[in-house]
Parts: sequence; structure tokens; C-alpha cells
Amino acid sequence: MTTQTHTTPVEDTVPRVADELAVGENLAFQRRWWTFERIIWPIFLLIVVFDLLGGLGHGWLAKAKATTAGGALTLDYERIERANTPSTMTLHFSPAAIRDGQIKVFVSDSVVQELGAQRIAPQPAVSAVGEHGINYTFAATVSPAEVQIQLQPSDPGIHRFRLRIPEVAAIEARVLVLP
Amino acid sequence: MALIAVSTVLRAVFGYLFLVLTVRIVGRRPGKQLTPFEFVLIFYLGGLTLTGMVGTEASLTNAVCQILTVAMCHYGLSSLRFRSPGLTRLLDGVPLILMEKQGWRTEALHGMMIKDDDVMAVAREQGIHNLSGIRMAVLETFGQITVLPVQPEQQDPEQQDRDSR
Repeated sequence: MTTQTHTTPVEDTVPRVADELAVGENLAFQRRWWTFERIIWPIFLLIVVFDLLGGLGHGWLAKAKATTAGGALTLDYERIERANTPSTMTLHFSPAAIRDGQIKVFVSDSVVQELGAQRIAPQPAVSAVGEHGINYTFAATVSPAEVQIQLQPSDPGIHRFRLRIPEVAAIEARVLVLP
Repeated sequence: MALIAVSTVLRAVFGYLFLVLTVRIVGRRPGKQLTPFEFVLIFYLGGLTLTGMVGTEASLTNAVCQILTVAMCHYGLSSLRFRSPGLTRLLDGVPLILMEKQGWRTEALHGMMIKDDDVMAVAREQGIHNLSGIRMAVLETFGQITVLPVQPEQQDPEQQDRDSR
């Protein structure tokens, strides 16, 4: 028993050049590709420059500062963060925030869950569960006082957070976390 | 948790497609024989992509899923490339004539950043010692330069004489 195989006629689908050799050159396509390359290289450069300036996090454009009315709390943070990359949020408290040798501050739960708070320094004397967040109490003897929260967000997106000194003032801000 | 699984797969897809695009733009020089210069490029690009693709997920499960994802992407792209001549041109580029009997194609040489010395190096590998021995030089889509020698009966004796002097 013979086995049949299917065949198609041998044809040259590649155009011949100068009637001597089939190369398949397509200069019109190649010229369009070179034009595309001339456009894409400056775009690559712009992306790198934008990154160096902090437009993609960790730089001058990414740094942000927010202050409550009256200046009791000033917050230094990064408005643009990168996923799974550590950063620091610093809270500066003026004398107006200190009452009876203590600083009380409310931190919304988005700071812990979405922005991935890893560590808070100094350690608060009291941490209490509040409504949609945590109430921290720090012992404060000198002013200005400073608290740092180390962040490491895991989920990309725009995340809102809120910091509040009870009965004084609040800060609401947004952070863009890049993948 | 489900989002983490999705994001690892999406990262693998993005990493693969981004590398395909970048390597295509960087040029087709990386080919049959890589120079040390090109070795650096290929390994560095691969290493940097790996960092972003894996992220914090260093598990074997993640590695297997991402490898399978990249394999499927590659199969899908190869399948589309087989069916579409336009996509083939886009992914592989087109062969370019670098030199023919009229002379060097300077537009192609400049565009691909290939020096005439590169062509002559390939010609020497084939035992061709001067320009008059080259009938045509073509940059193939896979990055290799093909040099076609002049048939003995086509060789111009005057040109041969000039080249030998």
C-alpha cells in the first residue's frame, strides 16, 4: 500500500530584483519602518528623562508636601510610587499638634492596606482601631516632632488616604502607584 | 489573591511583547554570531525584564505559569505571523540589498548602521578578496549578511585589474 503526500507546485512568491535574484526587498515598507524608528527613539529618550525627573516615581516630580490649615501637621510623601518598592512618608508635627505631651493622629486604613505600611517609627505608645483607620498616640516632649511611616504598596492604581489630628485638622491626598 | 495570579500572567505577556518590540527596534544585528557588544544587550535586556516579570513572586508555581504564558504568546505570535505577510514584515523586517552591481546602497547601509567593512568581512569569509568579486550583498531578516559572488563569466576584467592594483 502506497502513502500519498499532498504537494503544491513550486512557485516563486518573492519578487525578483533586476531580473536576476529573488530577494524580497520592500524598500517602501523599510522606509516607513525607519520613519517609525526616528519617532520612537525620541519617545524612548523622553521616557527616560521623565523617569530621571521623577515622573515615574522616586524623584523631584514625585515628591509632594501637604500641610493642614494652621500648620499643625505637614506631610512629606511621594505622589507617584512604584509597586513593591519601599518609600517613606514623613509626618512633621508643630507645637499646635502636641497636647498634654502627646500627639494623636488618625491614619486611614488605606495607608496600611493599599499603600502597604510596613513600619512606623517611632513606635506609637498606643495603637487603637478607629473608624476606617487606626488612631496612633505618640509621646512627644520636643517640637517639632517627626514620625516616619515606611510604605511598600503592592497594588497599582490611584489610592486615597487621610491623616487627621483629632479636633485640629486633616490632610487628604492621593498616591498613584505604578506597576 | 486572584489579582496576583492575573497580574503575574499579565506581566509575563507584557514582558514578552515589550521585549519583542524593543529587540525589533534596537536592530537586527543580533543574529547568527553575536559580537560581545550584542551579547551585553541581549543578556541585559533579558535580565532586566526578568526582574519586573517575577516581582515578589519567586515561587516555582509562578515560574511555571509565566513560562507557559510566554510559550503561548510565542506560539500565538508565530501562528499569526504564519498567516499574515504584513505581520511577518512587521516582526521580521524585510531583506535589504546592501550592495549590487551599481554600487553600495548607502540608504540601506546608513539606515541599518552597517559599515561597508562589515560586508567585506563576510565576503572574506567566503574567499572573496575584493569588491569586484561581489555580485550582491543582502542583509537578511534574521540579521545575517549574505554575499553572493560574481560568476566567473560575469566578472569584469578591467574592474578586477583595478581592484588587484
